[in-house]
Amino acid sequence: MDQLTTYAVTSLDGVAFGLLLFTVGAGLALIFGVMDIMNLAHGTLYLVGAYVAATLSGGGLLALGVALAVGLAVGAGGGAALSFVLRPLGREGSHLDEALVTLGIAFIAADGMTAAFGAAPMQTHVPTALEGSISLGIHAYPVYRLVFIGVAALVAVLLHVAVRRSTPGKMLRATISDPDMAAASGIDTGRVRTAALAVGGALAVGAGVLGAPLLGPGPGVDNTVLVLSLIVVVVGGAGSIPGTLLAALLVGQVQTIGVVTAPALAPFALFGAMLIVLVLRGRTTAVVAGRPA
Amino acid sequence: MLALSGCAGSSLGDDEGGAAEGPVNVGLMIPLSGPYKAIGEDLAKGWELYLSTHDGKFGGRKVNTIQIDEVDGRAAALNGAKKLVEKDNVVAIVGGVTADTTESVKQYVTEKKVPFVGTGGRPSTLTDLSYLWHASWLSVEPGRSVADYIRTTVNGPVYAIGPDYQGGYDNVNGFVEAFKAGGGQLANKDGKPKWTPWPATNNYLPFLNEIQATGAKAVFTFYAGTPAIEFVKQYKEAGLQGKIPLYASGFLTEGPVLQAQGPAADGVRSALNYASNLDNPANREFAMAYQKQHNNAPDVYNVTAWDSALILDRAIGAAGKNATAEKVNAEIGKLGAISSPRGDWRFGQNHSPIQPWYLREVQFDGRARANVLVQNLATLGS
Repeated sequence: MDQLTTYAVTSLDGVAFGLLLFTVGAGLALIFGVMDIMNLAHGTLYLVGAYVAATLSGGGLLALGVALAVGLAVGAGGGAALSFVLRPLGREGSHLDEALVTLGIAFIAADGMTAAFGAAPMQTHVPTALEGSISLGIHAYPVYRLVFIGVAALVAVLLHVAVRRSTPGKMLRATISDPDMAAASGIDTGRVRTAALAVGGALAVGAGVLGAPLLGPGPGVDNTVLVLSLIVVVVGGAGSIPGTLLAALLVGQVQTIGVVTAPALAPFALFGAMLIVLVLRGRTTAVVAGRPA
Repeated sequence: MLALSGCAGSSLGDDEGGAAEGPVNVGLMIPLSGPYKAIGEDLAKGWELYLSTHDGKFGGRKVNTIQIDEVDGRAAALNGAKKLVEKDNVVAIVGGVTADTTESVKQYVTEKKVPFVGTGGRPSTLTDLSYLWHASWLSVEPGRSVADYIRTTVNGPVYAIGPDYQGGYDNVNGFVEAFKAGGGQLANKDGKPKWTPWPATNNYLPFLNEIQATGAKAVFTFYAGTPAIEFVKQYKEAGLQGKIPLYASGFLTEGPVLQAQGPAADGVRSALNYASNLDNPANREFAMAYQKQHNNAPDVYNVTAWDSALILDRAIGAAGKNATAEKVNAEIGKLGAISSPRGDWRFGQNHSPIQPWYLREVQFDGRARANVLVQNLATLGS
């Protein structure tokens, strides 16, 4: 029984971590999967959010709210700025060019943040109201992570509905499937592209603000997040929100249950899981990847 | 005693006009970038504090410190050593946070007969020690020093857990071997320490849940850097803080990580060769001077760099006017007792310290959080 509770609590933690990856990954799915822009500065955006949280949130729910608002604004601004920087590369800009530009930005930003906040990882405060743990059987689980699960799940639902049902969502999908026809029917595709990048950026920075207590700010965190979110987007079949969610939850479980049950395999488990998913998908459906949400 | 000069004069440049002996060049090879940068900064602070309180001189000669970025201790360390020896003509190289740095430079400095004074981990693979010294510690020592204390204090099995790499094995096995030899029993299911994937995971909740299920009466661990912050914070989040005592190799709560761990670190007991409130004359002066300059308590990295400077000060002085690297190396071997903030120590046959170890506990006095001395442990080294 105790063993079962242990697995259940561990698996719950996998959900929390998975949803964190989903929030970041959904931003990347939007930018890379949907807009077809190779953004290697995505982990940097998360790190910015985590630093915003460490600097602004200090014990109160209001402070966290302020941090989140600032984070979302910074993220949207950052995403829009990326769109501006990448514009000279043209709409059909090659992935290599985009990768070089965004990677350069990521390097400069990472160094700047280390200079500004120091090389030591920073402490992030959980709002007092959400501090502490609740007991689940013999174990305790942090309240903040439970709340995070709720918030991130809500984000997932809202995002899905927005892309499927809202007018901006429809404009987005139209722009992806046929940019010329979309432009001809009066959609400002440049603006759609900027908006998509802004939303993607806001998701990454927002995830950083809320996720800082789970994966806190410090040098190197940007790379961790970038790699994990790339895996999520690839496994999720770039571009589909439900696919990204499933992939993120899978990665979350591999990183928790998988790591505990087979620690020796941990370094390979993630890529092993990715390999299996890709092979299976390659056999069953040929053209899932790239299909808009 | 220390001359606390207000004008802490730069250690670079400025020949003393008319002095009989010219300046002496010393290499300081520390991480200025990469994952260990925060530790590098602490080493630099200890080094600079020594120079600024000693008139910028070693053995009466002005010191030119030439800094090299060791990065991760691989190619950059060897290239840096070559530059220091061939271009800067240094009489000694101090530094190295990772064991890799010693590994990278050992052959080169030995061939060139330039002493290397290590300030961090030491690999267990060294054979020719003639020019290799470590002013720091052996990675097995923290755990070894506290094993008897834990065995006699904790009433029941202890769970051992650490990261899956050499530093983790050394630190945790140092404890486990001494603990078992005394008749102690591990709470781990298979009787062996648990190795967590490194660097693949920073999420320890799953492992902490397992610990809870084993009925352990205490936990012994080692982590450093970001993993140390995460482990300690999650130990609290999993509801284990205050429920199962957490013992550790001192690096878990030492230096930059402690502030980020915050209240979650309170009560963690760890073994290290330094505690900032040690009561000895050298530490009273050192800690006060450090506090005055940096407004926080010193840590073991500051002390190790301070001691390295102290060693070279004395060795260069003893080597006389025409101090060559080889002479300085010979003098390091003859130093005898070194009066350090960590208590008196001396180099043993292994060219590493024979030194006292301490049990500390993280306490918060309302203003700052520090590793406070609980009691003395064994003296280790040979």
